[in-house]
Amino acid sequence: MVDLIKKNVKSLQESLFSSIGSSVLTIATTYLVINFFRGMLGFALTSDKDWLAVLNNMQLYMVQAYPEEDFIRVWLSVGLTFVLAGLSIGIWRSEERVKSSQVFNSFFKGGLGVLFFTIIAPTNASFMGNDGSVITEEVFSMDSRLGILIPVVVFCVIFFSIRFINVKFTVNSSDMVFFYLFIPVALLWFVKLPTIQLDQNNERIIPDPIMPIASSTKIPWTVIFVSFLVSYFIGMYLKNIKSIKSIMSLSWFLLPLLIFSWIFKKPQIDMSLVLGSDLPIFGVFLLWGFLVITFVNNSIFKKYYSTYLGVTFLLTLAGVFSGLPMLAKTCLLLITLFSVVVPAVSTSSQGKRSLLIVWAVALVTLTFLLRGGASDTGIVVPGSSIFGGFSLTWLLAIFGTYVSFPLGVLLALGRNSKLPIIRIVCTGIIELTRSVPYITWLFFASVTLAVFLPAGVEFNLIVRVLMVTAFFSGAYFAENIRGGLQSIPKGQYEAADAIGMSPFQKISLIIMPQALRAVIPTLVSSAITAFKDSSLVTIIGLFDFLTIGKTVIGNQSIPVNFVGHDRENLIFVAIVYWIFTFTLSRRSMKVEKKLGLGER
Amino acid sequence: MNKKAIVFLLVFAMVIVACGDTAEEEVAVEATEEEHDHEGESTLEQVQERGFLKCGVSTGATGFTEVGDDGSYSGFDVDYCYAVAAAVFGDYSKVEFKQLTAAERFTALSAGEIDVLIRNTTWTQSRDTELGNDFGPTTYFDGQQLMGRVSDGLSSSSTLADIDGLRVCTNAGTTTEKNITEGAGLVGATIELVTVEAFSEAIDKFIAGECDIVTTDGSGLVGRRAVNDALNDWAIFPQSPISKEPLGPTYRSNDSQWADIINWTVYATVIADEYGVTRANIDSFDYDAAPEMGRLFGKNDGELQTKMGLSADAYYNVVKQIGNYDEIFSRNLNPLGLYREGGANARWTEGGLVYAPPAR
Repeated sequence: MVDLIKKNVKSLQESLFSSIGSSVLTIATTYLVINFFRGMLGFALTSDKDWLAVLNNMQLYMVQAYPEEDFIRVWLSVGLTFVLAGLSIGIWRSEERVKSSQVFNSFFKGGLGVLFFTIIAPTNASFMGNDGSVITEEVFSMDSRLGILIPVVVFCVIFFSIRFINVKFTVNSSDMVFFYLFIPVALLWFVKLPTIQLDQNNERIIPDPIMPIASSTKIPWTVIFVSFLVSYFIGMYLKNIKSIKSIMSLSWFLLPLLIFSWIFKKPQIDMSLVLGSDLPIFGVFLLWGFLVITFVNNSIFKKYYSTYLGVTFLLTLAGVFSGLPMLAKTCLLLITLFSVVVPAVSTSSQGKRSLLIVWAVALVTLTFLLRGGASDTGIVVPGSSIFGGFSLTWLLAIFGTYVSFPLGVLLALGRNSKLPIIRIVCTGIIELTRSVPYITWLFFASVTLAVFLPAGVEFNLIVRVLMVTAFFSGAYFAENIRGGLQSIPKGQYEAADAIGMSPFQKISLIIMPQALRAVIPTLVSSAITAFKDSSLVTIIGLFDFLTIGKTVIGNQSIPVNFVGHDRENLIFVAIVYWIFTFTLSRRSMKVEKKLGLGER
Repeated sequence: MNKKAIVFLLVFAMVIVACGDTAEEEVAVEATEEEHDHEGESTLEQVQERGFLKCGVSTGATGFTEVGDDGSYSGFDVDYCYAVAAAVFGDYSKVEFKQLTAAERFTALSAGEIDVLIRNTTWTQSRDTELGNDFGPTTYFDGQQLMGRVSDGLSSSSTLADIDGLRVCTNAGTTTEKNITEGAGLVGATIELVTVEAFSEAIDKFIAGECDIVTTDGSGLVGRRAVNDALNDWAIFPQSPISKEPLGPTYRSNDSQWADIINWTVYATVIADEYGVTRANIDSFDYDAAPEMGRLFGKNDGELQTKMGLSADAYYNVVKQIGNYDEIFSRNLNPLGLYREGGANARWTEGGLVYAPPAR
């Protein structure tokens, strides 16, 4: 043990105090860092700050005006996401083991972090009073400091010394997720943070100290945690089923669509439209797909297949710009894609059968989702959109990425195409969208887009924003992916040609996997940018997460007066954004490591 | 062979797309005509057909447009949105609020995204003539004032001349900035103007002592003084504001039926206040003794309202569900420290400017 401490001290000495210059630097930066954190903590702890402005408005932050009697729908959306996450973690359960010493080490480090903040926290903090005088108050008494310090020191010593006792066991690295999630859920039951209550005269009464934080959310979160755990075990059990992984990936793709079109939205279904419009369209396209699959190997049909493809393409083009129902338009797009794929896949009768199943399932899903998406919502809110706060930010981020990523792939391929028309069109779209600021596009969506749309087509403002966002971030994705495409050596194309692959197979099996793998870091940074840029919608009057903190709560005088408490809310918003983007970038780093990127 | 077919198809596609484009244009032309037809419909008909009112409000203005912790709306402007809905539908809750930033409010109104704009908007000549809007009766008479510290020797009776040599904080790019520069120039006071992005920043600078004076509309200043609990430390002056900011509803030009409905919704609340009719006593009020109230509420003769396209008891519903002017004012603005007495928003009989034409 003494050796170890000696070694640590020596390495510290080498890295921090190796020369006079570095010693000076070390001391100066330590001083700056400690002062920075002291200032921040002092700000957070003074009575001048009203953190209840954040706590009291949690509901507004998350779902804005979503009615309370329908909250079960919000919880269902969150719960489904966690169940799916549990299943995925179970199925993709890594066999990597984490050594006990590593786990204890991270606990020890966490304890050290708490110690650091407890020690440097200022005893007194000052703030400017209304008349310009400086008010000093005690924010962190010695007693409460000792109350934290002593247990944490004990905790740290235990976890430091436990490494030298021979407890050697390993933990599955996937299992650790549950431990980390368990902590916040357990905290909901035990940590006590007050929410504001008012008496008859609308005066604040002293908050009830017995009330745990967010007493209304602890039960849903516990249920969600338990079902997360259960689905994890189910996932482990299902692990060896064939093609379960592709089903899971597909579910991840469909889940947000299901949430936003059915669960969150509570659509009011008009049965006459289902019977009169949806079912006939569904039947026609089912039959169409069936005929294509059946006759694809017929010699006459085969001969004119390119003609058929061209006609389908033209029909789609004409259909998209006509007054057909949305379902018909989407089905037309789908049948074009399907017709391109069919000859490559359906060679055996078994392949044909599975293709038919895929086609039927895809059509059912599409019809189901579009009916929900196109129907009126049964949720009554005073504003123009049922999405607000974090649910809106989430919607914009997820759908922005969903639509813009495939669009980006297509645009990148189009820009690299040998056909001049496609190349020019794609280049034009990319350059046009990229050279205009995002804010200008948002104003375009809010004010001018209605003029460009055909008569009678009136889109919700959010849909219009999604449309311009798709093109804007799509253009950035396209340029990133094009970078990846250019890194593929020409030999790869030639090799694919040499073994007789069709262009579709060449792109999807050889080129794209390599190109995307090469640009993962830039793609993730584009996704993060899209997530953060969603807060710009505030300038066209949409109430996203940031706007709630910035403009709404700072103006609230009813039921509790929070006027002027902008900083607390902005700090909270910044922390939440940081948690999400940091998690995203850490995850992508792990994926990169797994793929062995940068080791070529 | 195959290649030729593809080339042929592409050319064919281009031709079709080109034709499609022209077809598209024709459709578009028809569409605009259709839209004009639609616009021929009066705003009232559109609103009634839709089943709810689209009301443009602010993204956040203390006391005027607020969003509560459950997402519900409240405030002075919001209550007038509710009042218009109560007049048109007899049910105040039939409103869809559209929060608008200052930059897009007039565009949203002229594009038909909202039916009426009640968003603390100042009535000015240029806005009235150039933007295709008309302004309704003023609901709140605001005006720019200044706030300074009592410890600097300022009081509520100070004038612009007293700020000579002081640092003044205000938000940039607004008429507020222009007004204070012009006003100080008129009385020959030299000021150091500190401009910031938002008013909350200006207040922060004022509290931190980085400026001696902060200036914006009087309603905003009073609200902040009450919140910061500095009634005796901060003085608001001059007594008569340095600018006139009449705030009221705005609607599209050339639809006098809709304009009348909005105007008389405001007037009904004012007349009810003059007679002392409130939400509480509206059903026990003696309408025979006050025939004007009877006419306005459709008690004995509702012809005036039905001629406007409303039901006879439209304005009865307004006062029954939302209250009279005094109730709306005190409910939303008294908690902020804004009172009617002695200001421009007092009744005309008490020296204020709140006045309505007679209902007959």
